[in-house]
Amino acid sequence: MRALGLRSILAATGVSAVVLAAMPWLLPDFWLSLALTCLMYAALAVSWAMFCGATNYLSLATSAFFGIGAYVTAWGLATLSYPVAVILGGLAAAAFATLVGAAVLHLRGAYFAVLTFGLGELVRHAITYFEKSYFKTVGRVIQEAPSSTTVYLTVLLIAAAAVCVCAMVRASRLGLALAGIGADEERTQTLGVNARRAKILGFALSAFFAGAIGAAIAVRWTYIDPTAVFNPFIGFQTVLIAMVGGAHTLIGPLVSSVVFSLLTEFLRLQFPYAFLILLGTLLILLVLYLPGGLASLMQRRWVRG
Amino acid sequence: MADVLLAAKGVTVRFGGLTAVDNVELEVRAGEFIGVIGPNGAGKTTLFHTLSGVLVPSAGRLVVAGDDLTGRPAHAFATHGVARTFQTPRVFRDMTAEQNVRFGLEFAGRTRMHAHDAFDDARTILGFLGLADAADIPAGGLTPARQRLLEIGMALGARPRVLLLDEAAAGLTHTELEAAAQLIRRVRDELGLAVIWIEHAVRVLMNYVERVAVLHQGRKIADGDPRAVSKDPAVIEAYLGEEGEPEKKAA
Amino acid sequence: MGFWLDLTASGLITGGIYAVVAVGLNLQYGLMRIMNIAHGEFLMVGAYLTWWAHTALGVNPLAFLPVVMVVLFLAGLLVYRVCFLRIARGAPSVEVIEARSLLVSFGLMYLVQNAVYLAWGADLRGYSFLTEPVEIAEARFTANRLVVFAFALGASLALLAVLRFTLIGKAVRAMMQSPVGAQLVGINTATLHPVVFGAGLALAGVAGALLSMVYEISPSMGEPYTVTALIVITLGGLGSAAGCLAGGLLLGLVEAFGMHFTNPSLKMLLSYGVFIAVLLARPKGLFSK
Repeated sequence: MRALGLRSILAATGVSAVVLAAMPWLLPDFWLSLALTCLMYAALAVSWAMFCGATNYLSLATSAFFGIGAYVTAWGLATLSYPVAVILGGLAAAAFATLVGAAVLHLRGAYFAVLTFGLGELVRHAITYFEKSYFKTVGRVIQEAPSSTTVYLTVLLIAAAAVCVCAMVRASRLGLALAGIGADEERTQTLGVNARRAKILGFALSAFFAGAIGAAIAVRWTYIDPTAVFNPFIGFQTVLIAMVGGAHTLIGPLVSSVVFSLLTEFLRLQFPYAFLILLGTLLILLVLYLPGGLASLMQRRWVRG
Repeated sequence: MADVLLAAKGVTVRFGGLTAVDNVELEVRAGEFIGVIGPNGAGKTTLFHTLSGVLVPSAGRLVVAGDDLTGRPAHAFATHGVARTFQTPRVFRDMTAEQNVRFGLEFAGRTRMHAHDAFDDARTILGFLGLADAADIPAGGLTPARQRLLEIGMALGARPRVLLLDEAAAGLTHTELEAAAQLIRRVRDELGLAVIWIEHAVRVLMNYVERVAVLHQGRKIADGDPRAVSKDPAVIEAYLGEEGEPEKKAA
Repeated sequence: MGFWLDLTASGLITGGIYAVVAVGLNLQYGLMRIMNIAHGEFLMVGAYLTWWAHTALGVNPLAFLPVVMVVLFLAGLLVYRVCFLRIARGAPSVEVIEARSLLVSFGLMYLVQNAVYLAWGADLRGYSFLTEPVEIAEARFTANRLVVFAFALGASLALLAVLRFTLIGKAVRAMMQSPVGAQLVGINTATLHPVVFGAGLALAGVAGALLSMVYEISPSMGEPYTVTALIVITLGGLGSAAGCLAGGLLLGLVEAFGMHFTNPSLKMLLSYGVFIAVLLARPKGLFSK
């Protein structure tokens, strides 16, 4: 199949977004909630693949960024409006990513992965300590949560933005730099790419969306505490979805996120542990036998041409 | 006299107890085509790594067109006009040949002060190298000899002032070699570049370069006219100690 | 005086465990570039096996240690064969081996952890063993903590001796320095790799078994140890077993003292802080030449 040009992708995203925006008035609650989960994972997976698919750096920090965004909402919703909290959540996550990236992105990929893996725990502990010491509390209650329609439309907007930004990055010099870094980082530097800056920028950009999603979704819980919000499963699910779909593509993670959200919804509550064993096995088999994800079966490539 | 484009001053590289490059001085000016030769282990590739910013020397300075770039990362060298090829071609296998060449143009080639308009375009560069028919083929699908040419194309895409060629002759037949050397000479002539070519097989170089520097065990033991250098007793001994006379044929 | 000794001892005991866990990962990564992010899970498995053997069968945990070692060694051979051999054989470059082994072990982590959840549930488990206090120089320790320290130290030193003085140890070190050279000399990577991988997991299992004697265990206990192991490897230098020992002990001490003067919740922040500081100041490890 031909790869689509940037304008086609943006147009398609816009049209889909408009269609999906009508859902709150068409779907019953259960299906709407499911759609919300799909959109959430779509945004997370696409933004993850934007950086990690291109550069082949495995970031396991999604849970940390998500949690940071959630806490921005938890702390700020009383004084800020919902949209502002969401954007601030994204920015806070991006700022954190910039800091972390500056410190560890020049390391080899294996170190980077393990360190981002520990970030979720790190931030969780830090926030738990902070909450206990300064606010004398363990968790927080969300008051005045916006309506579920507002939440749905906000998440839809974030997902659409994530897809558009990802498409634009792929067509831009930054995308080219990231792809080069993924192919041969040292070579790329000898051709003039400031690899460090490109990586930090890509990492922060993908963190923004994870944080925004966290801030937006947080209101679905009425009670927020660090354990609930810094859930490593979110990071695991994001990686799995992106890998199954094909981390080097745009459409792979999108399709995959819908499939997985459905699967999770119907299986996870029934067989929580068995389900995760299954997912773990799936990831292993995938990496061993189909590293390019399902999309590689359809011969799509990161760099068009 | 033309400006000094790249100068290594007292460059030393130590790995633990081993001194790979020992206090080497090397200068190259615009339009010069020089060779760097030496037996195996002489430190040629290590020197190249410092000249291109890939490796930071343990001591000494690297000056590119008047700017001291010692210790700066490789991309700083690239944006100042130093482009290189690698011994084993490191092309972007999944990208087409054209995208490979365009890569340099998008990054180092953009910010460079002395652009050469004739080579603004990836396809022009590919045509010059005889790779025009391969423009839309993924680089991984090219033969090694063509990948070697593509390497040069990628370096040219970065619009360099100084071109570093790392053992460009390895594995080529005599005819291919002659063609490559002619090509490089043309590149130098048309673009006014300085070219530094390191080579282990010596005979090839001697016919094309205007000046030769010889490294032995990390130190520079000769630097000058190719014919004079080939008769230098120190040079002959360095090669005799290794494999034979410097007049041996290309591998 | 007793107070400082107590703090130092705590740090050394924790550090000893860190060292044992880190050495395993160091060997695996240093030799094969396999970054096994599920390493901590096998520590957890060792802990659970020991707990189960003690509570269900009444076996002495110390006597059970060799069993844990063997079981986890064999598990390591199996895991290598099933999960990592294919990657090592088929990958075009070292970076790809790293990237793929990370992803595979990420999946493995979820598999192992949830298998344990399924088998034994999410509640904390524990048992008492050697809880009588012992007094040394005004400081009181429970006997089990002393035993843990002794065994951790002993295991690390034994491993160092193996690496330095035995033929197989020298083969491993040769391979870590020069894979091609070692093969030319006749060292068989096809046998050596699984053995080293198994040894790494065995060490993790032993660490877990030792931990189970002192602390309560849960299926999620392993994760922090993977991160800590990496930090220790960075402190001590990749490829250096002695560095791991020193680095582990050092990290344990820094954590013990740091937690006391700030707050226990900031333990991870401290470790990460140490990690970043070492990276910036001495990227090749504190003990490199």
